[in-house]
Amino acid sequence: MVSLTKKMLAEFLGTFMLVFFGAGAAAITLMISAGQATTTEFNIGIGILGGLGDWLAIGLAFGFAITASIYAFGRVSGAHINPAVTIALWAIKKFPSRDVIPYILAQLAGAGVASFLFAASVGMDAVTIGGLGATAPFPGIGYLQAILVESIGTFLLMIAIMGVAIDRKATPGFAGLIIGLTVAGIITTIGNITGASINPARTFGPYLGVFVLGGENLWELFPIYIIGPIVGAVLAAALYIYMSTETAT
Amino acid sequence: MKCYICAQMGKDSEAVAVCIVCGMGLCMDHAIREEVDIWEGGYPFPSEKLEKTIPRILCPPCYEGLKE
Repeated sequence: MVSLTKKMLAEFLGTFMLVFFGAGAAAITLMISAGQATTTEFNIGIGILGGLGDWLAIGLAFGFAITASIYAFGRVSGAHINPAVTIALWAIKKFPSRDVIPYILAQLAGAGVASFLFAASVGMDAVTIGGLGATAPFPGIGYLQAILVESIGTFLLMIAIMGVAIDRKATPGFAGLIIGLTVAGIITTIGNITGASINPARTFGPYLGVFVLGGENLWELFPIYIIGPIVGAVLAAALYIYMSTETAT
Repeated sequence: MKCYICAQMGKDSEAVAVCIVCGMGLCMDHAIREEVDIWEGGYPFPSEKLEKTIPRILCPPCYEGLKE
């Protein structure tokens, strides 16, 4: 049996990759498009280069990092790399209570370290222009709307996890690929609404990095990215269990 | 069925097992029992080695190949 320390290290590294490459892609896109005129108020810079293709590229950066993490660390820790997934699995009694807090702490730590190392790798423009890829609701999107969108996005992610990984009838070996592509698809659509976090740790890392390194204070928005993903993930997990449970006729 | 290895040496002995790799009949002297670990889990759960193992009967040539 793998020790909790090794599992935490796997969660740390997996979430590190997710934030460094995924959120890093968002920051880089903003840095590349900096100074160019936006066509609408709904465009903050991502979308100038290739329209929705900008979000697809960011989504694929997240997706590939997630796929790599799942295949690399899935056997060690389960590669949740997302507190909402950990909490949802715990809520349906598929994950032990004693491991929930250690897993979430490891995920938050990995996300935080990734943001600081990304800033160290790229320079202060990554903080002041790229915002380290921090998520925030886009112009015209309200607080509750953002929570709703994050819930729906995470709902799809968790339903996919349940269908391709938890369900014993699922074809083995495809989970990492399908879940990575699912995340890419979710980000392509809701990226320009909330930034498409669907993961509290993914938002925590850039928020911490930006705050400490002298950027904006975004913490008042953090509840959006805690409540939305957790509600969506728990609902999806519970609904899938309900739908897939066979009843005697 | 007779033991293939014994037959090669000119002896006649009854087989008690079959090699799972090559299908060779084996007597008690030539059958090698290998215990294979069973792992359960994988994404999104950590893999865990179960206490029970699965026995695998092998002939000496296949056993040597497996160990290489």
